[in-house]
Amino acid sequence: MSAIISSPTSRPATKLLSNGTFIVFVIFVVLLGIYAVTQPGALSTSDIRDQLNNTLPLALAAAGGTLVVLTRGFDLSVAGVVALADVLVATQTGEGPLGALAGLGIVLAVGLVVGAINGYLVAYLRLQSIASTLATMIICSGIALLVLDAPGGTVSDFISYSLTGAVGDVVPVAAIIAGVVLIGWLLLRRTNWGHGLYAVGADETAAALAGVATRRVKFLAYVLAGMLYGVAGMMLCALTANGDPNVGTSYLLVVFAAIAIGGTTFSGGRGGIAGTLIGAATLTLLQKVLFSVGVSSFYTGIGQGIAMIIAVLVGGASSHFARGGRS
Amino acid sequence: MNASSHKSAPLTPARDGASTPVTAVDNRGSNRRGLSSEAFTFIVLLGLIAAMILLSPLVSPSLGGLDQIGAILILSSFLIVVAFGQQMVVLVGGLDLSVASTMTLGGILAFSWMSDSSAALVWTIPVILALTACVGALNGLGVTMLKVPPFIMTLAMGIVVYSVCLGYTGGTPRGQASPYLAQLFSTRIGGVAPILILMFVLIVAASLLQARTAFGRKLYAIGTSPVAAFMAGLKVKRLTIATYAISGAAAGLAGILMVGYAGGATLVMGQPYLMPSIAAIIVGGTSILGGRGIYPNAVAGAVLLTTFSTIISALQIAEAWRTIIYGLLILIAIMALRDEIYMWAGRFKSGSR
Repeated sequence: MSAIISSPTSRPATKLLSNGTFIVFVIFVVLLGIYAVTQPGALSTSDIRDQLNNTLPLALAAAGGTLVVLTRGFDLSVAGVVALADVLVATQTGEGPLGALAGLGIVLAVGLVVGAINGYLVAYLRLQSIASTLATMIICSGIALLVLDAPGGTVSDFISYSLTGAVGDVVPVAAIIAGVVLIGWLLLRRTNWGHGLYAVGADETAAALAGVATRRVKFLAYVLAGMLYGVAGMMLCALTANGDPNVGTSYLLVVFAAIAIGGTTFSGGRGGIAGTLIGAATLTLLQKVLFSVGVSSFYTGIGQGIAMIIAVLVGGASSHFARGGRS
Repeated sequence: MNASSHKSAPLTPARDGASTPVTAVDNRGSNRRGLSSEAFTFIVLLGLIAAMILLSPLVSPSLGGLDQIGAILILSSFLIVVAFGQQMVVLVGGLDLSVASTMTLGGILAFSWMSDSSAALVWTIPVILALTACVGALNGLGVTMLKVPPFIMTLAMGIVVYSVCLGYTGGTPRGQASPYLAQLFSTRIGGVAPILILMFVLIVAASLLQARTAFGRKLYAIGTSPVAAFMAGLKVKRLTIATYAISGAAAGLAGILMVGYAGGATLVMGQPYLMPSIAAIIVGGTSILGGRGIYPNAVAGAVLLTTFSTIISALQIAEAWRTIIYGLLILIAIMALRDEIYMWAGRFKSGSR
């Protein structure tokens, strides 16, 4: 156990393999190669930007989910919070930069509140994470319907263009947001909280005995996760330029697929957000690739499902070997 | 989910070692202690259902009658069937997210194969159940042999099966609902719909399978501690695969029954049953981490959720409020069961490592 807990800070090459990030990166590059060959204009700046924009909402939501999965929990409330943030941005924000700032404040607050409720239920009341977040998910979807009962609403041009555009027509804003999340994660991982996150996921009893404030660590994981879901909802709203109270359901399961493909194990304590971001990009790209190589749209699901299993298998096998054959 | 991590731990099998009787006694003891609190849960759930039905005439005068109770029970039957499979999988520490698609597969095949001949009914039902059981067994194989996390394995299988349904039907299911299936719901035997008699038999059989057979008891042992179960000589992999196969067949059966009730099949017919199948067993006190929960309570959970959604759909309020109230009900139910979770948590800490 101690080897697993300390792995984030020891032996960089092994670390790369054991958290699955490297493997999923290879899979991603291979897919990108296939896509570039089969789809003309695949690597143009605008296509790359579209690709990043399409990936970002899923990537942010999955990044949040990763924090919870690292503690050996499941957060289903992602579907509810994404939908709620989406409709709030579509109905409650004004024009211009101030409107965007207000939108960001709203979605962060919503994510914080829902995350704090989840965290309280799971960390302090010790309820099963799937059960309590299922309930909060349903409640949030209900509130989303209350805000907007059918797809509609509008998003200010400022939000829509600035979030999906590019700085100086070169660096996509989506890439910057993803970069900020990644850097934030790399910094947080080095804090006591970050170490505690892995310790709690690997063995909660041992972590508590070692002096980790397990409740606070878990609570914070849910809160940060909720805030990331909120931002994901805002990004989604900017992308589609309207609000949809039912948008969350399509996210629920894909988020966990992205986490798993990114090399974070559901038994807790291994993985991280870096892998998840690439996992989300891989999933989004996979759909494009299946389309571009001419798989009938009826059957793309078969390819998607099988690819998901293979990606998890490859990631699992590589981490198995990286840890010297111990499983 | 944590089962996979336990299972993959390096072990020396001690199939006939001295540890066997100790583990067995240990397990039986803890289950017997748990049984009384499970009986308590059952009584609480029944009380809640009764209270809801008694109070329902306040919501709408048409509610609360015997006919209404019969209608709610009939409506519950699909969830009751799906929840059985879900619970079997959860008992061994798994989760089945493919039930929605498997239910759709069962429904679509029943719709397109049966038409109105009784001869077709005789061969299609076993064939569909076998096929859906195979889908479940594939889940089980992936989880046990390839060590894919249940969440991902069944999620991927759900996507694959849905895609097959989509391709097979070309987007629009065509066929004819069997009139014999429809009669399960439309006729009455001594004032009771045949489906309710069938459900009663199924529930009794399923409960006995869980509580009174060696197969059922072994599942609790696996869910409580896969390592101990393995050391005690249980065929953990084979038993786990069996639970997934049962879940597949149960979802398939629910799909077949649904065709009789709705008179048709759609590509999304299973979707409304995925989350409720998990909610029903959780409300019924099943631990999502395995080893804890009994089927009668899951049935009570399913009836409770169906009763509740039937009553609130009669309320003249927006869907948004209905959804919020539904979520609150689940939250209240799991908070009410908190003490048991505490107990379970204590046992997990002392027993798992």
